[in-house]
Amino acid sequence: MQTQAPTVFVVDDDEGVRNSLRFLLKSVGLATRTLASASEFLESYQPSQTGCLVLDVRMPGMSGLELQQQLNLRGAIIPVIFITGHGDIPMAVEAMQQGAFDFLQKPFRDQDLIDRIQRALEHDGRNRAALAQHARIRERLDTLTPREREVLTLMTCGKPNKSMAAELGVSQRTVEIHRARVMEKTGAASLAQLVRMVMDVEREPGAA
Amino acid sequence: MSRSQLTEPIKYDDGPQMSDERKADASAADSTPVNRGEHKPPAMLHGRLLSVSRMATIGEMAAGVAHELNQPLTAIANYAQACDRLLARPGTDPSEVREALHQITAQTTRAADIIYRLRALARSQQSARSPASINALVTELRDLMQTDASLHGVQLSLELASQLPEVMVDPGQIQHVVLNFVRNSLEALAAKPSASPRISIRTSATAAHEVELAVSDNGPGLPAEALGRLFDPFFSTKENGTGLGLAISNTIARAHGGSVGYRPNAGAGACFYLLVPAHRPD
Repeated sequence: MQTQAPTVFVVDDDEGVRNSLRFLLKSVGLATRTLASASEFLESYQPSQTGCLVLDVRMPGMSGLELQQQLNLRGAIIPVIFITGHGDIPMAVEAMQQGAFDFLQKPFRDQDLIDRIQRALEHDGRNRAALAQHARIRERLDTLTPREREVLTLMTCGKPNKSMAAELGVSQRTVEIHRARVMEKTGAASLAQLVRMVMDVEREPGAA
Repeated sequence: MSRSQLTEPIKYDDGPQMSDERKADASAADSTPVNRGEHKPPAMLHGRLLSVSRMATIGEMAAGVAHELNQPLTAIANYAQACDRLLARPGTDPSEVREALHQITAQTTRAADIIYRLRALARSQQSARSPASINALVTELRDLMQTDASLHGVQLSLELASQLPEVMVDPGQIQHVVLNFVRNSLEALAAKPSASPRISIRTSATAAHEVELAVSDNGPGLPAEALGRLFDPFFSTKENGTGLGLAISNTIARAHGGSVGYRPNAGAGACFYLLVPAHRPD
């Protein structure tokens, strides 16, 4: 799935700015891909590709904000760093409200951009690790039988075996067996870990 | 002919601070409505505002230029900072640094080109030259300027010489210069409020076969250190000034074989003037 190194995508309609960003980011060893328009990016974007997006707010055709909306609609989790001109603060505010990772005003200090990119890449890495973890947990939860699922729900509510048995109309011994199967199938080492796993899958990772 | 005979003041705002001489003129012109704007349907005034609004786009143009210049500057900064990083690293290939330096040169050329095009902008609009009366051009702007002045609580008066030679001009460009002068005066008056802020626009013929249009105010005037650079592009004494208004006015004047200039107003305040050669039909 994630075979390639994290890539910094730079989308800017200005060739001079675009090439200078590629040069700058390569000089600090970041894998960089530059694109001249938002639609070009959307065409080539692979959701599984790790990285971040450095995006000019103001572009002819699809603007940076519109691209962000498109990505949001597709449920893309790639962090977006906006680059804005001087008078574009309202746009930057809107971008942040729509879940942008950060924004920078140009011209900017290279270190500021690089720091933000590093943070965005770490953020993306954490998000994707969490997503992969979710997928693993969900896979395991899917192996539970309906009855085991009921037991799981009661366990995470903190019910003792005795009341679970009464509630499900089975013996305490049967509850114990189900309980052991749940722990085995989910791979949880403790009830506390099991609760955390269930809570984790209920909360989707995404915006910052 | 005496100056008072040459000068026929057109009055449309009779403030309480008039000189006696002006009062006499005003009573002679009593039949003219005090507020000309009331006599025109608002839509017409609006239309007039629109027709001259391209002159107000100077601010937008400046914003556009700022955005355009920001691009090569950003690129230059990126390349320079990358070079800094590359040079700090042992074993950097000099050709990499050289490539960035070439790009920096290319981007400075691009920035210079933007500025060149900006300065060429005013020059390039020479298409619509026709014989015109400066008085008529100023009179056309009266409602617009009056609206602006009233909003600022400023009394505006016009003293237009009655027998002026025609000039060969692009009317829009000359009006641009007039509006620019007036706006500068309004801003100067607003920056340092006085009891009776006034702007007057005078036209006259000079001995050198030129027509002069002068806009003077009773504001704070200009600091001596600013005088040498007034018409330089991007020089401004205003906090949020673009520094383009007078520079473009200067370019326009020169394109017409004329000039713009500044002199301190008699008493107090500033006076900016435009000189355009009189048109001599063959």
